[in-house]
Amino acid sequence: MTDTTQTERTEARASVLSSALAALPRPALLLAVLIVLLCALVIAFGPVRALQATVNGFVAGSYTGLGAIGLTLVLGVLKLVNFAHGDLLVTGAYFTILFAWLGLPLPLAMLTAMLATAALALATEKIIWQPLRLAKAGSLQLFLSAIGLGLVLRFTVQFFAGSQVRTLGANVVTSIAIGPLRLGTLQALALVVGISAMVIVGLVLRFTSIGKEMRAFADNRALAEVSGIDTQHIINVTWIASGFLAALSGILYATAIGSFNPNFGITLLLSLFAATVLGGIGNPYGALVGGLVIGLSQEWSTLLFNARWKPAVGFALLILMLMFMPQGIFGRAKRRS
Amino acid sequence: MSIDFWINVGVLAGIYGIFTLGLQLNAGFTGLLNFGQAGFMAIGAYTVGILVVDRGWSLWLALPAGIVLAVLAGLFVGIASLRLRSDHFAIATIAFAEIVRYTLQNAAFSGGNQGVLGFDAEWRAVSDWMLPWLATIGLGAYTQLPLFIVVWLAFVALLLMMKGLQATPWGRVLRGIREDEDATAALGKDVFAYKLQSLALAAALAAVAGFFVALNVTYLYPTVFDPTFTFFGYALLVLGGFASYGGVALGSVLFWTLLEGTRLIETSLSAGQQASLRFIIVGVFLLLISRLRPQGLLGNVNEMRVRP
Amino acid sequence: MSCKIGRLAAWAAVSALAIVASAQGAGAEPLDLKIGALLESTGPLSELGPPAEKAINLSATVANKAAKDAGVEAKVTIVSADSQGDPQAALSATRTLVDKGASCIMGPSTTPESISVLNGITMQRKITLWPLASSTRLRTVKDDGTIYRPVPADDLQSKALVKAIENHVGKGKAVAIIFRNEPYGDALSKSFTTDWQAEGGTISSTISFDPQQESFDSEAGQAVDTNPDAYVVIDYPETYAKLGAALVRTGKFDAKKVFVADALSFAKVPDNIPPEALEGAYGVAGGSPTGTDAFKAFNKLWDEAGGVANASYTANSFDAAILCFLSAVEAGSTEPGAIRDKIRSVTKDGAPQFTIETLADAVKTAATGKEIDYVGVSGAFRFKDNGDPSSSLYDVFQYQGGKQVKIEQVNVK
Repeated sequence: MTDTTQTERTEARASVLSSALAALPRPALLLAVLIVLLCALVIAFGPVRALQATVNGFVAGSYTGLGAIGLTLVLGVLKLVNFAHGDLLVTGAYFTILFAWLGLPLPLAMLTAMLATAALALATEKIIWQPLRLAKAGSLQLFLSAIGLGLVLRFTVQFFAGSQVRTLGANVVTSIAIGPLRLGTLQALALVVGISAMVIVGLVLRFTSIGKEMRAFADNRALAEVSGIDTQHIINVTWIASGFLAALSGILYATAIGSFNPNFGITLLLSLFAATVLGGIGNPYGALVGGLVIGLSQEWSTLLFNARWKPAVGFALLILMLMFMPQGIFGRAKRRS
Repeated sequence: MSIDFWINVGVLAGIYGIFTLGLQLNAGFTGLLNFGQAGFMAIGAYTVGILVVDRGWSLWLALPAGIVLAVLAGLFVGIASLRLRSDHFAIATIAFAEIVRYTLQNAAFSGGNQGVLGFDAEWRAVSDWMLPWLATIGLGAYTQLPLFIVVWLAFVALLLMMKGLQATPWGRVLRGIREDEDATAALGKDVFAYKLQSLALAAALAAVAGFFVALNVTYLYPTVFDPTFTFFGYALLVLGGFASYGGVALGSVLFWTLLEGTRLIETSLSAGQQASLRFIIVGVFLLLISRLRPQGLLGNVNEMRVRP
Repeated sequence: MSCKIGRLAAWAAVSALAIVASAQGAGAEPLDLKIGALLESTGPLSELGPPAEKAINLSATVANKAAKDAGVEAKVTIVSADSQGDPQAALSATRTLVDKGASCIMGPSTTPESISVLNGITMQRKITLWPLASSTRLRTVKDDGTIYRPVPADDLQSKALVKAIENHVGKGKAVAIIFRNEPYGDALSKSFTTDWQAEGGTISSTISFDPQQESFDSEAGQAVDTNPDAYVVIDYPETYAKLGAALVRTGKFDAKKVFVADALSFAKVPDNIPPEALEGAYGVAGGSPTGTDAFKAFNKLWDEAGGVANASYTANSFDAAILCFLSAVEAGSTEPGAIRDKIRSVTKDGAPQFTIETLADAVKTAATGKEIDYVGVSGAFRFKDNGDPSSSLYDVFQYQGGKQVKIEQVNVK
């Protein structure tokens, strides 16, 4: 309720410009802006450089976007700012190393690692989140617990595996030539997996009964409870899905990047949150699109400034989007009425 | 187990205490989730460093200038983003702090990657003046003791000031905003202005903390001011107690005793494993405290309402 | 009964020890040296921790064996603490090392950490600090002769890079610089730019990248697009694994045009770096060529010990700890100031030379108080007045078949 009133106030005070723009559906508006920007860059820097930066933007965006899908589910359904999500990605990657070391072939090790991470995510629900929810913990307590859990996960991994750089040994140097443009083979794979995961999660949420229940629960928890939905079941499924997706993206990241240590989750974390918020919390399409928008803007910015400003560009974009598009790209219309 | 080690822990606890007084004012008493505190701190510390080194200012004049600039930054951030939803405000402030950090790392005026060095001569003079005086009571061997004393004097003074402010009508309006923003607005209070003042005051406190960080590490470098600083601040805030200034002091001392004290655990593990174990212990502790005593050690359960 | 016998035996042992000790004469008390290792075990540079830890532990093993073989009563123990890559945490970490009795401190890896530790703790206690940071900035602070750097400062290295490129590509060519956006890369790229332009060369592009990003394809593309005659890469292995892959993926990259700085110098190319990104690449590393056998011996030791793979600067960390140990033996004391004053006596030009393979003899000679010249795994040490290596000799190497092969030596006076 509070959210709605506050949003309304924000809307009411928003500038004339943004209310005029708000008449368009936001994804269409965004697409239009991106196309205009791309055309400008093509004119300014020539098609090859502009398009290569675009390809690179899609690659960079797919890493964060895919990682953010699991995060947005937990944030949307459970309203939990899971600061340990980045470390779940790390856990997935290192479970793969563990199972491969135990003798499983790599693809099987990856699959086992995803299942193990999903189980771990469910375990955190049972051991940490459920008791906190029952005790009606405030948002700061939840936040603190998430930081604590993140530390425990990351440093347990480091305790056993060390902090030295690891690799999964995939060939990261092959690339696909599209005319004068280049796209790494594994990067293309990451992009395809990212889009597939987004579509699958989106379809599950839209068409399956559990997906519908999850959305109902996300929209109004109290209403979902009184209408007889098994809320604990929904929460469990959300955690399993989030853990599985985290491991999937962590493993894909580790494979396609080729070099990592237990810190990669925490360094990715802020980008993951940015993608989630930009896309609209709780929306899997939004998470990936949010990631892509950040990726594109950062890579495009390298045409204009030295690449070392890339992270600052991402954060500046995040602030601008929060100010002018506070519900995110795919934020639900329900909140607006 | 040396006294030097614990003096250092005390310095850290004092600095983080001052830093977290601002977070307590924002989160605990106004309901604002300010996650950009490290950015304000960086602005304060760098202003001091740059004015002293590049402009030849006195350290003692540069400190108020640093506070003023941090306050201006607080006002700017507030005007731009206070109208956002509270969770969006949290994210916007963290993004602001990161932009500050990357700017300091990449811009020429801040020394970029090479940082700022050589601003602390005047502080050393004071410290050297205090040491013989401390020697008369047998404490002359502890070179960090002067900083410890000054940091804690500042911390206690600021803590009392904040406590005093909270008892004023101004403080009561802030609390009203946290409890029910719309009701407070209905009483004719300009909620936005109050929130802005709260944020600006927190930024000033961050600048003071930044000043002491600069004196402690003697070298200003962007990574010192990364978001971890703010996260640690919130951790000790929740540990000490929500909506309690005394809790900030207790939380800061306990948090740093835990974080640094775990260095002293003797095991036969490798250095890497020992370091990991330290943070596992801290993580488990954070999980336990938020589970077993969610309102914090000195917090009041009834004060715990922060809107999501 | 048995208790009584035990006590008698103990007394006998103690008096025997006392006799042995007194027979060795004054100043020959057994040395119990503690070397502090200030490691980046956690934090943003945590990939540097495990190799440095292993290098310093190896030095203790080697030193203890040498002392035993030499019949000198000296024992080295390593005490370690986590600097977290952060100047503030480095202060706390160093305090624990001092509490544990460390007489020298190995590390840290960055200039901010080094300066905060120096000003806060070590200078006042005359404890020698052996940072792996190469920034010239470190020499703008007063250190009372306590900072010895086992790695050369940036200003010499940039000249070595200039020479290497001139020898293998030619004078006056166009060079693209790519560096990791950190003090090390920043400072070295600036001094290289100045030196290269002074020799009539041009810089086709200077690209700095943020190490925490996930992909560097745009950065790589920009460097390749200017079609330079050579690339200067100033990077650490962790990020070069990503950057190098991105460079290869552009399809227009030739690793033989690459010249790496010393942070990418290792005996074998690590597994995580794609071989194509470094095959045929050149690089420079400080030191003198006499260290070659020692280099091989060290790498053999490293492999035999198992555990983490070798990385950059491990030989430098190892040598630094050995120098601390030899200085303590020379001084006959573990008092930090006494060690500090003897470091130049164990790296004396013209004195009998010893390496890791003849360390027992070095210990024997040092124990008599005679000056020696320890020629380290990373080369001979000639410290300037400020404690920086003065050696103007640099190895130019090339990666061939994934291994470092020394090509030539350049002098950059």
